[in-house]
Amino acid sequence: MSSKFSTGLFAAALPFAAAAAPESFTIDAYHSFPYFDTVHLGTSVIRGRFEKISGKLVLDTAAKTGTIELTVPTATLSTGDNDKGSRPRSRDEHLRSPDFFNVAEFPTMSYKGTATKWHGDAPATVEGQLTLLGVTKPLTLTVERWKCGPDPRTQGKRYFCGGNATGAFNRSDFGMKFIVGPVSDEVKLWISVEAFRD
Amino acid sequence: MQEMLANPAVQGGLAPFIAALTVAALLAPFRLGGLAVVAAFATAVYFIAGFTFEPLTATRKIILLGFAAPLAGIVIDFAFRPTRFEAWALALAGAAAAAWIFWPILAPKGLERALLPGGTAVLAAAWTVGFSHSRLAEDGVRAGAAGLALGAGAGGAAILGASLTYGLYGMAVAAGSGAFLLVQMIIGRKIHAGATFMLAAAFLTALLAAAAMILAQVPWYAVAALALVPLAASLPVNAGAPVWLQALLLSLFGFFVAGIACALAWHAGG
Repeated sequence: MSSKFSTGLFAAALPFAAAAAPESFTIDAYHSFPYFDTVHLGTSVIRGRFEKISGKLVLDTAAKTGTIELTVPTATLSTGDNDKGSRPRSRDEHLRSPDFFNVAEFPTMSYKGTATKWHGDAPATVEGQLTLLGVTKPLTLTVERWKCGPDPRTQGKRYFCGGNATGAFNRSDFGMKFIVGPVSDEVKLWISVEAFRD
Repeated sequence: MQEMLANPAVQGGLAPFIAALTVAALLAPFRLGGLAVVAAFATAVYFIAGFTFEPLTATRKIILLGFAAPLAGIVIDFAFRPTRFEAWALALAGAAAAAWIFWPILAPKGLERALLPGGTAVLAAAWTVGFSHSRLAEDGVRAGAAGLALGAGAGGAAILGASLTYGLYGMAVAAGSGAFLLVQMIIGRKIHAGATFMLAAAFLTALLAAAAMILAQVPWYAVAALALVPLAASLPVNAGAPVWLQALLLSLFGFFVAGIACALAWHAGG
């Protein structure tokens, strides 16, 4: 009797034990994009994004810990201007050149961070390191929204998390000094992420 | 003032030209007028990227070599007797420099994709440096005209190939060479160029053009065409003609070839 009771107690406690363990997630590349904003000639905001991203999340909501690792192929950047028209080159071609992202020499940029603040079960602040153009500098991301749950597209068979995070950095800190001023030094980031539990 | 100094035309043209003119005028009596090119280039680097060398990117390697070349040139000009192997050794140094800069970028692409740009970069650097040293360095006007056209061609092609940074560096070399030529045109006699001038101009322009090919979008055949500029600057002109006329003619020969390189870069953009 005692043995059956303890087995039952263990079985009942199992889901909680599982929830407390760190869980690993893989980025959903079809619903995850890093966007970037710069100010052009002090007037309009030019927004672009990278079309591909890969990475991993590890979350432990019970222990309020989490890490994220993202890798972005820089050649996938797009600002919606890929047609040079009557100009020597399009804006996207220029952004891929050594004047800006230098994608031939630095084909990827990456971010590694740790969730340091939480609001309930959701990470609120991620402190980490951005590596761009071979330079690694601190970058803090603020998580604007975050939700985890069963994926409705698979009738709940898959479990996933997703949300948005924002941050900003000065591109000159990473050696991207070309026409700082006419194109703002500050680059604002807006990252949308969805990730499936492994 | 700050706004004016942020203007790319000032950073890559006017400021380098003034620096080079000052250096050429002051140091020509000491056979060091050729330092005009590195003065122009250093001025452009100061305004555009600054003197930071960490991490050591391809561009920063080019900048380092651009500073080292005239120093090596001074040693060659003042410490060694000319030998017929000198040009071959410098050509080899040009090839080694191109390999050192671009191999880490090209190696991951695999031999098939790396061979054409890598081969073009190595051969263009070897040819430009070796030929310029053997056939142009002893004639201040020919050297200046070659530097002017090489700089303008590398700069123009780089701008058309989507890199304004390399474009401005190329234009700075052109501005420096132009100042070096102008001093000769004003005083009416040729001044010493030597390896001090020619190494810096040839190394920098060959490597900038190669970088614009590998890291931006200048086609390989535009780089190959640009490498023919020194050949154009070696064409015969009347040695008895006034210096200003020789400078004008040789610059026109060089510009013609550089123009072809720029046209090829433009055409490659579709």
